[in-house]
Amino acid sequence: MNAVLKYPFLAVFIILLISCSDNDSEEVYEDLPSLEDRLFAGGQTTVFLTSSNSFSTPAPNINGSDLADHLDGDVDFESVFVTAPASINQGLGTIFNNSSCVSCHPRDGRPSFPANINARSGFFLRVSLPGQLENGAPIPVPGFGTQIQNQAIFGYQPEGKFQVTYTDIVEILSDGTQITLKKPTYSLIDTYIPFPGNALLSPRIGSPVFGLGLLEVITENDILQNQDINDTDGDGISGKANYVFDAVTGTTKIGRFGWKANTATILEQCAGAYNGDMGITSYLKPIETGFGQSNGEDGFGDDPELADHILQRVALYCKTLAVPAPRNITVSNVRRGAKIFEQLECAKCHIPKMQTGPSAIAALANQTIFPYSDLLLHDMGDGLADNRSDFLANGNEWKTRPLWGIGLTNVVNNHTNFLHDGRAKNITEAILWHGGEALNSKNKFKQLSAKDRNDLLNFINSL
Amino acid sequence: MLLVNCSDNDTDPVIADGAINKEILTNASVNVITATYKELYDNSVVLTTACQNLAIDDEAALTAVKNAWIATRAPWEKSEGFLYGPVDTEGIDPAIDSWPVDVNAINNILSSSQAITSALLDNDDARGFHTIEYFVWGLDGNKTASQLTTRELEYLVAAAQNLQSKTQQLYNGWLQSQGNFANNFINAGQSGSIYTSQKDALLELVEGIIIISDEVATGKIETPLNGDNGAASPQDEESRFSNNSKLDFANNIRSIQNIYMGDFGSVQGKGLTDLVASKNATMDVSIKAKISDAIAAIEAIPGTFTDAIFNNRTTVENAQQKVAELKVILESQLQPLISNL
Repeated sequence: MNAVLKYPFLAVFIILLISCSDNDSEEVYEDLPSLEDRLFAGGQTTVFLTSSNSFSTPAPNINGSDLADHLDGDVDFESVFVTAPASINQGLGTIFNNSSCVSCHPRDGRPSFPANINARSGFFLRVSLPGQLENGAPIPVPGFGTQIQNQAIFGYQPEGKFQVTYTDIVEILSDGTQITLKKPTYSLIDTYIPFPGNALLSPRIGSPVFGLGLLEVITENDILQNQDINDTDGDGISGKANYVFDAVTGTTKIGRFGWKANTATILEQCAGAYNGDMGITSYLKPIETGFGQSNGEDGFGDDPELADHILQRVALYCKTLAVPAPRNITVSNVRRGAKIFEQLECAKCHIPKMQTGPSAIAALANQTIFPYSDLLLHDMGDGLADNRSDFLANGNEWKTRPLWGIGLTNVVNNHTNFLHDGRAKNITEAILWHGGEALNSKNKFKQLSAKDRNDLLNFINSL
Repeated sequence: MLLVNCSDNDTDPVIADGAINKEILTNASVNVITATYKELYDNSVVLTTACQNLAIDDEAALTAVKNAWIATRAPWEKSEGFLYGPVDTEGIDPAIDSWPVDVNAINNILSSSQAITSALLDNDDARGFHTIEYFVWGLDGNKTASQLTTRELEYLVAAAQNLQSKTQQLYNGWLQSQGNFANNFINAGQSGSIYTSQKDALLELVEGIIIISDEVATGKIETPLNGDNGAASPQDEESRFSNNSKLDFANNIRSIQNIYMGDFGSVQGKGLTDLVASKNATMDVSIKAKISDAIAAIEAIPGTFTDAIFNNRTTVENAQQKVAELKVILESQLQPLISNL
């Protein structure tokens, strides 16, 4: 059984962190930005951690009853589900991708791209038929739904197995450095019934779950301020909010979560993950993901399998995980990197600063935060395209990922696989995968000197 | 106080302590952590052999399996103060310590016509310590060798082989000649290490032992003791089939002791204790005392843990309190001391 991290850290060493500046002579003739106002990346939810637990502590400012629920939610997040009937945690599957939340969000962070794509991992394929439902959602593939479960409880057949092949894409930087990107092509094999040839596939890998409550309470107006759907300012960058069907309220709401911003709330994201990833039904998603399928029903009639309060406190857990503070922000090469980040126009989409509005959870309300995301959809080019639309997101569009905590990925998860399917092996590769609206930024990155590139990476790794 | 760390003199404590820090980190990662995993692997080999030697009606052989399980369980529990690295990133914890036991999956596998092999179990939660425990002790802890079936024996061998392969993977993940996760600690602060400073690596050690102290107090003891609205909830006890929970908890605290002291088996190396003693001898004495008190209080619980959560609740509460006090001193004193290095 996994141990559970549940101790809050107080932010008592901040002054120490910012007092020992490592200025060198470059600052004398370069106008370097100060990053000190970005130290509290999550506002008062910030923690100062540099270990494998950096994503896993409760926000230090949450109140007593929220903390109690957070700690219970932490246990729930690690709970392993088993075949029904059972005295606890019953109802895994029948078809599923994994058996606990934490197995796809290890240490509340990122899973690596799996060495064996059909072992249990944080990876799966979404599927749909061409077109959209009336409410904009993707059209489920009959017999498969919108997500392929490649695992099943014993005696049942998974929907199919995944297969991946790679094509090399060689990028040459201006100093001659050659980097070979591996472009994955996914397919489905060994499906339990024939899979339609015209169906669309889109890969997904789990993403970090800290700081989500803050993103949920950025006001819609603040997000829309950065929209520029028709690129009226002519900078080549548009930015578009997704509007999605929200099962919690039965209405259309702005999308904030998921790789294509196709989910409005964390509660729905959690319910969707329980249902789609683990085969656990809840009051929001009461129908088994394999309902009506020959491999999809265990016949116990025990739905919803998850108690309402467990779903709610797991959502609260994700909302109230602390945001780790940036490191080395007074070091001059980090500050140079921040300047280059601006010059390359990375910050036009990875907007550093946001403000939260009101929140039912007091700790999250009215915080100045530094997620480095505009929460908007952008055309990222053909190289990254999944060619599968999801509400207003077209097949080339992805939501800007927050960059906070990115430099801690290696210490938390012992890898640096990034992007929606974990295809990038490090931050440099992730940058080189940028295209579409980010093509200019990528091309400017390729022109950088080795020193400038390293400073940019130092800055990103300081987040 | 803060300005002291930024002063321009040559007695930067981090640099001055660099050699001792490296000694502590090397000893912890090689002589404690990797050595604990070696014992885990070695004992799992014995467990596999014991399962292969088991036969229906052979009570002596069943006892040998039980003893081998307990002997393998011990280093695993002694490793829970350092659940970072390959145990986490290679998915080994869920593979060897999945809980609760998926009884229906086990029954479905038993009643199928498939050969039960380690490979068959590889993609399933119905394996690991608690699955083996379930076969050997039974749901009520009173299984006899006469009750074993041929299919159960087949499953048991496969589960033991699977456990052995995963513990080998775990050991290899740290071994310097293989995955060498230990290098992250030995060369902390240098390129090639995930830790950007020795302090960060020391904090990893410290946070690991804080987490397990918290887990024992507020999870492993609390949930069975009070999980049913303040009353005992025995189905939440992890090693209840074998009645091994008290030993599990004590060994969890011993994992704290091993990391703190830098000791494992016959090796007595440099530990956090040496660093702490040089800066605050009183704190060092207090931490050692809290560790000993916690182990003693767990061992003082009479009878089985399952019985005690109903009939000796005060002794369980006392053990919980002692573990909680250990957590408090680690969190409120040790952690800040290392953070301020």
